[in-house]
Amino acid sequence: MNLFLQLFQTMAVFLVVGYLYCKSPWFRPLTNQNLDRRDKVHLYFFFSALSIMGTYLGHPVHGALANTRAIGPVLAGMIGGPVLGTAVGFTGGLHRYFQGGFTAFSCGLSTTTEGLVGGLLCLYLTRRNRLQDIFKPGVAFLTAAAAETLQMIIILAVSRPFFDALALVKVIALPMIVTSSCGCAIFMSIIRDQRDMYDRAAAVFSSRAFNIAERSLSLLSKGFNRQTADEMAKIIREETGVSAVAITDTEKVLSFVGVGSEHHLPDTPISSPLTKLAIKENRVAFADGAQDHYTCFISATCPLNSVLVAPLAVDDVVIGTIKLYETSNKRFLNMNKSLGEGIARLLSNQLLVSKYQQQKSLLIMSELKLLQAQVNPHFLFNSLNTIIAILRKDAGRARELLMSLSSFLRKGLKKSGQLSTMAEELAHVNSYLAIEKARFEDRLTVEMDIDPDLLNLKLPAFTLQPIIENAIKHGIANMLGPGVAKIRAYKENNVAIIEIEDNAGTFCENGNENGLGIKIVDRRLRLMAGDNYGANVSCVPNELTKVTISIPLEDYEYDPCVNRG
Amino acid sequence: MIRALIVDDEIHSREELEAILGETGSFWVVGKCDNAIDALKAIKREKPEVVFLDIQMPGITGMELLSMIDQEIMPIVVFVTAYDEYALKAFEESAFDYLLKPVEKQRLLKTTLKIQKRLGERYSNAFIAPAIKRIPCVGPNRIKLINISDVEYVRSDVSGVYLVCAQGEFYTEITLRVLETRTGLIRCHKQFLVNIDHVDEIILHENQAAAIKTRLKKSVPVSRRYLKKIKEKLEV
Repeated sequence: MNLFLQLFQTMAVFLVVGYLYCKSPWFRPLTNQNLDRRDKVHLYFFFSALSIMGTYLGHPVHGALANTRAIGPVLAGMIGGPVLGTAVGFTGGLHRYFQGGFTAFSCGLSTTTEGLVGGLLCLYLTRRNRLQDIFKPGVAFLTAAAAETLQMIIILAVSRPFFDALALVKVIALPMIVTSSCGCAIFMSIIRDQRDMYDRAAAVFSSRAFNIAERSLSLLSKGFNRQTADEMAKIIREETGVSAVAITDTEKVLSFVGVGSEHHLPDTPISSPLTKLAIKENRVAFADGAQDHYTCFISATCPLNSVLVAPLAVDDVVIGTIKLYETSNKRFLNMNKSLGEGIARLLSNQLLVSKYQQQKSLLIMSELKLLQAQVNPHFLFNSLNTIIAILRKDAGRARELLMSLSSFLRKGLKKSGQLSTMAEELAHVNSYLAIEKARFEDRLTVEMDIDPDLLNLKLPAFTLQPIIENAIKHGIANMLGPGVAKIRAYKENNVAIIEIEDNAGTFCENGNENGLGIKIVDRRLRLMAGDNYGANVSCVPNELTKVTISIPLEDYEYDPCVNRG
Repeated sequence: MIRALIVDDEIHSREELEAILGETGSFWVVGKCDNAIDALKAIKREKPEVVFLDIQMPGITGMELLSMIDQEIMPIVVFVTAYDEYALKAFEESAFDYLLKPVEKQRLLKTTLKIQKRLGERYSNAFIAPAIKRIPCVGPNRIKLINISDVEYVRSDVSGVYLVCAQGEFYTEITLRVLETRTGLIRCHKQFLVNIDHVDEIILHENQAAAIKTRLKKSVPVSRRYLKKIKEKLEV
């Protein structure tokens, strides 16, 4: 009974060591499913030390030692596999061997074997894909019990004289088996709890990171300005729970929310040297509040004490910072530090994406300008040629055609960003068609059916003419037979529908070639009125190509430079 | 007088060109065509000395038309185009000269002198024509463009040249000889060309002639003269 108590005391020492180990930075490897070589070396030293300590804390019984040496090798084997287990067992066993006594050899041998037992269990569970079971205290208990029982058998089998060995085993077997098993089980449960805690912390961390990502991604596509900065700062503060969050550009504060917002006002110039440093060197600056303090330059009573400043950079050019603050009575959590850095990286990437998208939308605008500015030279010279030819036969008609051409060219000078009415658009179309009809004569017939209510409908300038030009240039001009273009405009469920149809049906095969004009019209309508509106094309080869444009009937504002992502 | 043919799909263009050609006093316009297929017929029929050819035309472009004309009756070709960044390149490759619409009289006079000089020299107008990729076929009320790869074989008889493909038989204005030189079709008989990719089997006859079975199970005669060449082509 006395021995029981003594061994339990020893085990308690072990558990204290184990607990401290789990709290130490070296514990990290144990949280990994796959240990690399360095981790294994770590574990080897730790568990070997544990095993040797077991020998030193042993209690002399009948010329031998009752001890808890087994805990080290068994746990090492279970966590690190047979090689690690055997190595730890061998080290502990070797040490035991040199301590002498009549069980020196048997104890050395059995300790090695115990490591191997733990290792084999680990191997077995890994192969069965039951890795989680390794960390169950019950499994550790049974493994240690089996290993210790094995040790007793080895002592009986190897140690001589046998009767001394038998006497020894009778005394030590039960206490050693029970205490070592309990020790292993409790030790394992400490490890498991620590692992779970890491997992839980990681889960909380990633869910916050995802929340911020989800809420911020769409926000920044609207650009980096005071308004988006304000919303962003609020999101970050909500998700991280820090005392205050600020977002700056490279010169001034864009937004400040949380503690101290009464004196940290937007639009004030950046005063903190840490922020200046972060901007200048494009790196994260951190004052933890313990060694380095954040000092507010604006108010002496500012309670903020620690700060993380993470730069926002697009293509390695710093355009601002994100700052997370804590007051002096709150510790700046490590988790919030890495979250802050992560957010800054995420937002930097997002800014890069939105910059790209803005450029893309600018590109569309310039494509459009190009498209309209480009009164296509083929058309212009063909028109002139036609008019010159007609001049020979019918000067009056030629004069009318020149008027049409002149009005067509004048309309082309209008800015593409403007809205125009259906009537204006149709006038543009008609001056264009007057010339094309003269060029193609009886090869081109145009049918128009416009609801007069729609003549005041507002639509982006240059919506109709490019599409009709497409229908003629890429459609009817390539037909051997007579070409018919139909232009219809009508109302349907509070939506204005404009259809432009030709009977060439060439869009299907060369869609990419002449699809650009339609794509631009579509993009502009979507930007203007939302994704329910726009232009789409349907085509029946050699029969018809039909472009359908839908525009809301009610008034709307149109700003071509708005980028809706 | 230089016998000239005008090919342009726009009526006013044709009339304007005819008018200013008349003003030079050097041309006799033997015909005006509004598409390449009619032009092919007119060239065969009228054998003009010069063709004023618009490049952008429906169906078959001016460039494609050039490949379809028999070299022996190839006229001098002057491209007429309103605006075409490829005009210069096309001119270098196959045309004698080019004019920009609207055509200036001074510029046309230069071209006229060039043409007269060339006609005096009796050069061949032949050039290395690009391969024909699709063949225009004239049917009642329509013109069908058939890809070479779809053609099984081509036959000719007194009534003309016919392409045979899965959709049926189609009449074409292009001669057997032009098709032989500008497409991948192989001559197997005085009156037949065959698409080697569509050959299913060759049945050898005792008199050293043979017959080709095409994939559509049609029979095409192979004369002794061409059998050897076809065997070489098939590497048998």
